[in-house]
Amino acid sequence: MHDHTHTIPVGPQSPTMKEPMCIRVNLEGNYIKKAHVRMGYLHKGIENMLEGKSLIKCLYITEHICGICSYAHSACFTQAVERLYKIDAHKKAKYIRTIVAELERIHSHLLWFGFAMHEIGYDTMFQYGMREREYVLECFEKITGNRVIHAINKFGTVRYDFDKEKEGKFILDKLAKIEKIYPFYEKMARKNSVITSRMKEVGTISKSMAIKHCMVGPMARASGIKRDIRKDHPYEAYSEVDFELITETAGDSWARTMVRLREIVESIKIIKQLIKNMPEEPVPKFTKAGPLFMANVPEPKKTLTYGQVEAPRGEDFHFYKIEKGIVKKARIRTPTFQNIQVIETLLKGVEIGDIPVIISSFDPCFSCMERMIVVKDGKKEVLKEDEFRSKYC
Amino acid sequence: MNMIRKSPWVSIFNASSCNGCDIEVLTLVTPKYDIERFGAQWKMSPRHADILIVTGCTNETTKKRLKTVYDQMAHDKVVMAIGTCGNSGNFWRFCYNVKQRTDSVVPIDIYVPGCPPRPETIIDAVVKALALLKEKKNETKKNNKKATKK
Repeated sequence: MHDHTHTIPVGPQSPTMKEPMCIRVNLEGNYIKKAHVRMGYLHKGIENMLEGKSLIKCLYITEHICGICSYAHSACFTQAVERLYKIDAHKKAKYIRTIVAELERIHSHLLWFGFAMHEIGYDTMFQYGMREREYVLECFEKITGNRVIHAINKFGTVRYDFDKEKEGKFILDKLAKIEKIYPFYEKMARKNSVITSRMKEVGTISKSMAIKHCMVGPMARASGIKRDIRKDHPYEAYSEVDFELITETAGDSWARTMVRLREIVESIKIIKQLIKNMPEEPVPKFTKAGPLFMANVPEPKKTLTYGQVEAPRGEDFHFYKIEKGIVKKARIRTPTFQNIQVIETLLKGVEIGDIPVIISSFDPCFSCMERMIVVKDGKKEVLKEDEFRSKYC
Repeated sequence: MNMIRKSPWVSIFNASSCNGCDIEVLTLVTPKYDIERFGAQWKMSPRHADILIVTGCTNETTKKRLKTVYDQMAHDKVVMAIGTCGNSGNFWRFCYNVKQRTDSVVPIDIYVPGCPPRPETIIDAVVKALALLKEKKNETKKNNKKATKK
């Protein structure tokens, strides 16, 4: 019999994705029979780069892993180091960090919303989303001095102080503008037929499927799983604020849109509480660790440590082995790495026109994600925890 | 014809960047920093573009792609390297998968430093690219005339 399928590559340079990624789809008519994902266009070797570097250099490098969730990565590394050396961060520093983290979430979600609308051909909404995002970037510039890569973290403290009257008022002012326009967004997402007809029942991920693929972040929450590091393992100042964990049950592209849109409101709520309860005393310039960090800190007995942060896209996990102020081994697991695994199963039987919608609803961030796993000759190797540590750590 | 010469189309190429520069370039097409004031428009396909914006250090995987995309572009093209990574490789140049600077892969006309550069800086660079594009087009016109006379 003659084979009626044909294969076309989507990507790496395609209008669908701003970042390079290649999906080879096997088509039968208009429907996808098989999809094959090829990655590695952004792999540079960050984990290898971190090894053998001092902690302060590593803080700089982790900040540059990703441009969109740059704060989340540096927070993860700071948390790991603070956990190992038992440094308790200053209370006000924790508040400032949480504000930056939540601002980053709003920025990322608005950027994503704009892009998702651009993918379905609704360019007016794209411009609206990007317009509101600019307010958040102005806030960043006010607090940290930078628009994109913030460089706010230090071990035990933060780089810049926060004045309630100046910065606090400025942020509340800008957030009020976003809050004012938000009902319009939600109304559009719920009622506008351009959005609903294109996104509802497209790329549905059921709850069991999401659990099976270990999905994290808004992707899991859209399928009805209550998974959020901010609630499960509160870090920084999250235990002191009151916010709702947002979930949807539908699990399709539209549910993912709604989760992210509603999270914007929750983030605004958190920031308002934090600014209201902000401690008065100024942030210390240095903690007991001193400017060069290693000077006054006793060397701990343990060497292994980890950091766990809820990035805008889900759980960000860093694992380190640190000896005498030098990073010996690093492992970074980003949210997109967890979420993208499902794509090959999800694209089966889908029309080719739905690829942009489905992939953009994942909110992929490949520059975070491009890590390397070595599979030698396909041989399976099962190790116990001790063996793994002695061999690879 | 004058109008067309003044309206370049811009395409972005992500050569293993960290997204930081990409989102700053994208703010150029949004209401606050609108580059359509200068007639420039954002196009996805490099075949339609006059200006290619390269972000990020070029790693081994994207090296070949960058060359292909550069060759696909129509003649009289300007290439801009945005961000410190595109200019010098930043600290990525010590990585095992980054073996060269971007300017050793394709010729670069305009370097824009910053990590990431502010949108105002990129707008300034685009305006400079417009002048450069005009120069290049005049040059090719002259060469074409010479060729036809012979």
